[in-house]
Amino acid sequence: MSASATAGPRRQNRITRRSVLVIDRIANWTITVGGLLVIFAVGAIMVFLASVVVPLFTGGRVESVRQYQVTGLPAEVAMATADEYRTIGLVIGRDGAVQGWHLQTGTPLEVPHFDLGGVRATAFARTINRSNLAFGFENGTVRFGAVTLPATTLSEEAVPAGARRLDERDATDGRAVYSRIPGNHIRRVEVQARLDPPQQIAPPGTAIIAMDYRRGGTAERPTLSFVTADANNVLRLSRAESRMNIMTRQMRTTVSSSELPPLPPGTEIKTLLLTEQADMVLVGTADGTVFRYDTRDFNAPRLAETTRVVPAGERLTGLYFLIGEQSLVAAGDRGTMSIYFRLGGGSGTADGLHLVRAHEMERQPSATAAVAASQRGKMFLTADVAGNVWLRHSTSNQVLLRLAKDGGATAYAGIALTPRDDGILAVTPEGRVTLWNVSVPHPETTLGTIFGRVWYEGYDGPRWTWQSSAGTDQFEPKLSLVPLIFGTVKATVYALLFAIPVALLAALYTSEFLHGSIRAVVKPAMEMMASLPSVVLGFIAALILAPLVEDVVPAVIFGLVLLPLSFIAAAHLWQLLPRPVLLRLAGLSKLALIFLCLFGALWLAGVLGKPFERIVFGGDIKAWLKGDIAGAVGFTAFLLFPASALVVALLGQRALGDLLDAMAGHGSRLRVAAAALLRWVFLTAAAVALAVGVAMVLTGAGFDPRGGVVGTYVQRNTLVVGFAMGFAVIPIIYTIAEDALNSVPEHLRSASLACGATAWQTATRIILPTAASGVFAAVMIGMGRAVGETMIVVMAAGNTPILEWNIFNGLRALSANIAVELPEAVRDGTLYRMLFLAALTLFVMTFIVNTLAEVIRLRFRRRAAAL
Amino acid sequence: MAMDALTPTRTAADDIPASRRQQKRGDIRPRDLRAEGEPWTWVLGGALALGIVMILGLLVLVFWNGALTFWPRPIEVVTLADGSRIAGEPTRTQAFRPEPQVLEALPPERRAEIEANDGFAARTLYRTGNYDLYGDDFRWVPDFERRFVERPREMVLLERLEWGVFVGRILAFTRAGERTEVTNPRQAALLEAHAAARARWAQIRRIERGDIGVVNHHLEAERLRLRGVLLRDPPPEERARAEERFAREEARLKAEYEALAAEAQRLRAENARDTIILQEIGGREVTLPLSAVVRMVVANDMTLGQKAGVYLSRWWEFLSDEPREANTEGGIMPAIFGTFAMTLLMVIAVAPFGVVTALYLREYARQGRVIAFVRISVNNLAGVPSIVYGVFGLGFFAYIVGASIDQLFFPEKLPNPTFGTGGLLWASLTLALLTVPVVIVATEEALAAVPRSMREGSLACGASKWQTIRNIVLPRALPGIMTGLILAMARGAGEVAPLMLVGVVKLAPELPIDGFFPFIHLERSFMHLGFHIYDVGFQSRNSEAGKPMVFVTTLLLLLLIFLMNIGAIVIRNRLKRKFQGSQF
Repeated sequence: MSASATAGPRRQNRITRRSVLVIDRIANWTITVGGLLVIFAVGAIMVFLASVVVPLFTGGRVESVRQYQVTGLPAEVAMATADEYRTIGLVIGRDGAVQGWHLQTGTPLEVPHFDLGGVRATAFARTINRSNLAFGFENGTVRFGAVTLPATTLSEEAVPAGARRLDERDATDGRAVYSRIPGNHIRRVEVQARLDPPQQIAPPGTAIIAMDYRRGGTAERPTLSFVTADANNVLRLSRAESRMNIMTRQMRTTVSSSELPPLPPGTEIKTLLLTEQADMVLVGTADGTVFRYDTRDFNAPRLAETTRVVPAGERLTGLYFLIGEQSLVAAGDRGTMSIYFRLGGGSGTADGLHLVRAHEMERQPSATAAVAASQRGKMFLTADVAGNVWLRHSTSNQVLLRLAKDGGATAYAGIALTPRDDGILAVTPEGRVTLWNVSVPHPETTLGTIFGRVWYEGYDGPRWTWQSSAGTDQFEPKLSLVPLIFGTVKATVYALLFAIPVALLAALYTSEFLHGSIRAVVKPAMEMMASLPSVVLGFIAALILAPLVEDVVPAVIFGLVLLPLSFIAAAHLWQLLPRPVLLRLAGLSKLALIFLCLFGALWLAGVLGKPFERIVFGGDIKAWLKGDIAGAVGFTAFLLFPASALVVALLGQRALGDLLDAMAGHGSRLRVAAAALLRWVFLTAAAVALAVGVAMVLTGAGFDPRGGVVGTYVQRNTLVVGFAMGFAVIPIIYTIAEDALNSVPEHLRSASLACGATAWQTATRIILPTAASGVFAAVMIGMGRAVGETMIVVMAAGNTPILEWNIFNGLRALSANIAVELPEAVRDGTLYRMLFLAALTLFVMTFIVNTLAEVIRLRFRRRAAAL
Repeated sequence: MAMDALTPTRTAADDIPASRRQQKRGDIRPRDLRAEGEPWTWVLGGALALGIVMILGLLVLVFWNGALTFWPRPIEVVTLADGSRIAGEPTRTQAFRPEPQVLEALPPERRAEIEANDGFAARTLYRTGNYDLYGDDFRWVPDFERRFVERPREMVLLERLEWGVFVGRILAFTRAGERTEVTNPRQAALLEAHAAARARWAQIRRIERGDIGVVNHHLEAERLRLRGVLLRDPPPEERARAEERFAREEARLKAEYEALAAEAQRLRAENARDTIILQEIGGREVTLPLSAVVRMVVANDMTLGQKAGVYLSRWWEFLSDEPREANTEGGIMPAIFGTFAMTLLMVIAVAPFGVVTALYLREYARQGRVIAFVRISVNNLAGVPSIVYGVFGLGFFAYIVGASIDQLFFPEKLPNPTFGTGGLLWASLTLALLTVPVVIVATEEALAAVPRSMREGSLACGASKWQTIRNIVLPRALPGIMTGLILAMARGAGEVAPLMLVGVVKLAPELPIDGFFPFIHLERSFMHLGFHIYDVGFQSRNSEAGKPMVFVTTLLLLLLIFLMNIGAIVIRNRLKRKFQGSQF
């Protein structure tokens, strides 16, 4: 840097060094960028959470469409199917012919077919996984078969030379398809078919017109159950047990049949359905009636129920089971699509069960021709005679995809949903095949299922349920956020019910009545308490408090009312002391006396717990809560006591106040104080009497607090959680409220005292109203903390997602649910995204509460500064 | 407030109706005690008293239970009504209601006693130990079943490596195969043999953990190197070279391993010949290797000094040793270490970002509605539940950023994730994000407290903005910044919920810091004190057995947090005093 020309010995260099300017600019830039980055990062949290949640609601998407012509399609198509990797598509005809091709390109493949021996097949059935089939013939026989598409993983060298390349992934040798998979391996998919020898079921010469077929048992000893209807409308339920003879290595099948009670004459059977356990047979007739047979006793089946499943005047086009066999899809020729559940509680049916219509789905544009159910969840395809193919989901009652066939309306000969729910296959009678490759990652979630009541399988009505996993494979996860939000709200409400009075009253006392030196100790101590880790509070609540409280519940309940009463009683007694003594003992000693009074009240509550239990709960509170002991007068009176005390106090103030004052207001202080004590005793007794009276009236009218605010007792319940959360929330509310009360300008306080007001009058009429918004902000911030509290709820709340206000019951909150379930949720699955939605809900809830508190706090600060 | 009776002069009071003026001298006004609000004042005071009692009660409970856990208790031998005997440490007593069938079977005097007591009887929980023999470590003994209680001097409580504690007497011990009967549990020969066996065990552990661990580490590194080369699909000569190098290294390391394993085996064989033969109160004999006995406590025959010695040695084990028996015994050193490491990393991450952002908000940004909104948002974020940050940490840091890092830098370890799952780095970053609002708010308040006059003075002297900040503002704001950092540290050390999602485990196989490059392994899972409390309390085989451990851990965690808070207050006061005088 050039130095300036100096004219004298004391001239300073006024030019700034360049390095300083450069550093300044760098600092400017770094700090600006860094600051913006952090602010942005913090805002990105919400954006990220939202981005994970959005795919839940996007429904279904078609990724690509393939259309091609397949020649040589069987005349009567019985079934279309594909393998789980979408490599081979198959169509099976009623005459046993099987046509196979490469699914993505349409190249025909050579596949085995079923040799039915020239006999005409009049009925066809398959299991839901489309591997096992059955043919019913015109001569009264049935034959079982299987067509499978096994996939084997081989090393790269196993591809036979001369294999024709089909697309960039697959090659074929005309029979099987070889796909390249990551890791330099090859997957081979081929078609295998098997047909068993015929079994005579119906009298020879009577054709089988409908049948259904289920496989069970083990691989070594398969059991087949099937139901057949022959041309004479005779229904037979049969069981075939196959046993492998170890010596001769022959499968020996024994078939036993039992006849079902006959149908009314003239019934036109449209569909037969059988369950896996062979405990129910459904016969769907063309005019829309369903006959339900109870076949739990194989040798004595009976007709359990007759009901219509489509509206009058409409004809039934098909009955289908969804996976799990709990939901029954009934399709009509005017497009009606209904889902029926088999539920208990039916009156008028022989076995106490009845079919209940659970979902009425959107109408198909024309008569439904075919329905194909998913092999994994509750999705199903519906195709109508106009060629519309719709992908629906039963529980969430939505249509995910509407696919129309271009170029004229034709009914499809066969439709299928690929095993992994990622492809839709539709085949026309002319051999035109359309394959839609679809992606439907979260079909079961909509805003309705998350926040509304949903009717799940096996439940007797729509409910809000959260049950994310269970023991069986066919379980349907029930993901409604309502029980969790309710749990959060319940925990917050009960926690604040306990914490707000304690914290606010303590803050008022600390800022107005407490001596300065004690205040200097108490306030930092409370601030330190705010940093107590909630895991410690949760542990104490669950492992120490909960068992303790369980033993002394009546004493705890009684203590809630006894504590304030005993303080007031002690205060009245205190007032009896002569004035000089009072003045000397004010301050620290009074605080010490208050502590003594607290201990005394706690001890008294413990001692009086037993008599209280005897009077109010009939001697055993747990039995009373469960409902074994009658008599709700005592507890209702107890609940009404605070309200009745308030009413009596107000009345005593207004109506009787002047009268009592005139009677007792003269004389020495002692007389006045004694009169006040007597008056208080009298008013309390009146309050008790009023509470008991009103309780008797209410109980007589049928009111019972059990089932509402109280109910069956569980060890880890909301009472314990509320108390523990009080520990966490009280210091926060206390600190902020105390700050607010303290910031009220001193001159207001001095002016009030100078006008002759007592400290109490100043506190309630001047300080509190002025600081009201600050106090309110404190409560809001405490509420925000209570809403987000995780560890205490995880440990002490029982984690049961129920919707009850019962204080003696558990709950499951949003935060606890996330903490417990997220580590085990599959990445990007439905549960994973739902938990992110729960986190987002929590974020939004606390954000709103805190913003409100912040805005109010700023306004208060501005207003207080103006005073 | 009240005034004594005034001397009667002609005042406006003379206009008051006569009835009210008929008051004797010495009367005290006002009559209305309600104005003093004494009852309500007592309710207010009562609320404060309740709050204080709650918190003090909690602290006393934790301190009492935590401090007393390790104090050695006597072993009582109880003879029951049916003649059988049990031996154990009395843990606690409780009142309970016996079942009707039990009441029927009692003699009439006992039943009358219980009836008189409202149906309640007392029972004591005894820690009988010997889980391998009894199937349970604790047993309730009702008072009415106890015939008499004694405290024999030779009963011993043995803490062992497996199966929890053993309660019984020592019959004999063998050393190098030679059996010696034991008459006095404090026999010098026994103690010497025990010490020697434990020394050998420590050496075995050193060989296995230390030396063999090094060999394993090198072997794994070689394997991963080979895999990395193969994944890149190299030309054949390179592949052959890599494979040959691997074979060579593998052979060498295997030879080393054999040698070490042989040494360990030799020591093990030696140790196997030193056993101790014990007998529990029911008469069954148990033989244990002497090296599996961690501590022998002759519970009924100790002086105060010896008890204090056992107490201190248990504390030392707790602070420096590793956990055993599914975290219900042993020490929590990995948890302490993990908590410290994570807190340190968190502070390193949060300090620059928090301070820089506060500087931007307060010094560089144009103050207006946008910045006010940003400030409100930052304040709100301090109140967002910690679990939301955990969710973000898992979803974004671990699954997205971590997975990308794995793809780029650690492809040979896939499909096992390195950074693609929870670990030390992601946990620290998540908690840093959680506590950044706290630091920003505290720093902003500290910066706001520096008077404008100082800034203006500095600028008037010709300093640039950065020079002003660096030399005038920041030093004076330092107390507030330090306070903010320490409060953030205290908050971060106590949060468990987000950690449950991003990297804390029940039992970490290794510490995040060890002797292999890069010395700090940020991808490893770690243990944490707060999570330890949750885990031992709720996920143990027996929560009764875990409770003492949880209390001590809670005590430690509370001490840690209080120390940090007190440190914050002390630093704040000291630095305030330092700069107090120089304000103008």
